[in-house]
Amino acid sequence: MMDIAIYSLVDDMVSKAGTEGVVEYWLRVGESYAERMGKEAYVGWPAFNVAMKDGRTSLTVEGDVNVQTDLAITDKDGDVIGYVYALKVCPMAPSMGRYISRIGPIPDSDTDVADSYNNRIRDSAVSNYCITHQKFREVAANNITVAKQALECLQLANKGMTGEVKMVPDNLSRINVDERHIKSILRNASCVFALIVKGKSAGEEIID
Amino acid sequence: MAENIESNPFVDVSVFLFFEDISDKQGVEGFTNYMVGQAESLAKSVPEEEYKTWDDFTNAVVNGESVLSSFESIGQISKFGFVTNVCPFSKAIREYIKRIGNFNPVHMEATDHYNHTIQPSAAHSACMMHQTYRKEVAKRIKIGGKPLQYAQIAAKAYTGKIALPPESWKKVLLEKAGISETQGFMEMRENSCLYLLYVEE
Repeated sequence: MMDIAIYSLVDDMVSKAGTEGVVEYWLRVGESYAERMGKEAYVGWPAFNVAMKDGRTSLTVEGDVNVQTDLAITDKDGDVIGYVYALKVCPMAPSMGRYISRIGPIPDSDTDVADSYNNRIRDSAVSNYCITHQKFREVAANNITVAKQALECLQLANKGMTGEVKMVPDNLSRINVDERHIKSILRNASCVFALIVKGKSAGEEIID
Repeated sequence: MAENIESNPFVDVSVFLFFEDISDKQGVEGFTNYMVGQAESLAKSVPEEEYKTWDDFTNAVVNGESVLSSFESIGQISKFGFVTNVCPFSKAIREYIKRIGNFNPVHMEATDHYNHTIQPSAAHSACMMHQTYRKEVAKRIKIGGKPLQYAQIAAKAYTGKIALPPESWKKVLLEKAGISETQGFMEMRENSCLYLLYVEE
């Protein structure tokens, strides 16, 4: 029942704090959630990927993740700097389904808040909940080290309830993965992201 | 509707954190107001219901067909006495404790605030949402043309603490439910919530 409250809560909050206020609340929630999950350390990518498959990391509390081991991301020297991951089911999907069947259509405030985020911060939210979820992943990734190197999460693509797809071209080019490949992964997933060593990219340059 | 109450705990926990963030900005009163306000909004969004007889209504509630049982499995223990076996927030509470640790004290502060300013019936902050939802949804249900009435008798927190009304209220509520105090406590060993649903004669 707590999850269903999101829609009426966001509706109420929009009328009091506006869509921008709700976006700020959600960003803070994502950050504090991840910070309170604590830090993790793995000796290398194989150990980390097994933990991801087993659902033992803070990044997999949200649900089962497919580790795309065929999509290892390498730097200019050919060293592996990260992988692509696909979340099978959006954590909001069961709640959305129950809300629609039990209460009615999803309130417009859901899209209004997502649009506010997409227009002002990054065009990557298909529902208001994506705001906190994506922020959670970004902060949680910073709290994980693989071979003593902190990680960075890059949101790549996600799919909404009606089939709407959001892609983040800047992040795709940073890891040098083709958009069509990510779209094919999205056929059987709801969200695709990359975890890479913080500051690295598939190209020559190191991102600050 | 027991088979349909599963949610992703990731979402549940984040909603608790959302309320904690509200309390950082607007204090315990803001927390309580938002919790109650959104439950009222949610209840106003649900479809209205009407039943010809009391038995039609109780059958729908117990079989999970009423909006009252959208989020919980409800059992009937007497004509007007009803119980919820498993608190629909228990999974979210367990997941919060498992993932994050001790509950932020603000939840208990908000519960106390609710018990002192609205009614003394909440065992946890989630009870504020749940009981408000039930109260508002009851207004949308008519039985034989009369609106359904709801009154909370007891609620049990994850710590085992049971929230009870003052003695004078408790006596009246138990009498209306047609059960003794001992029977009420027996019900609370097996269930998380005990309440009255009735129509004015």
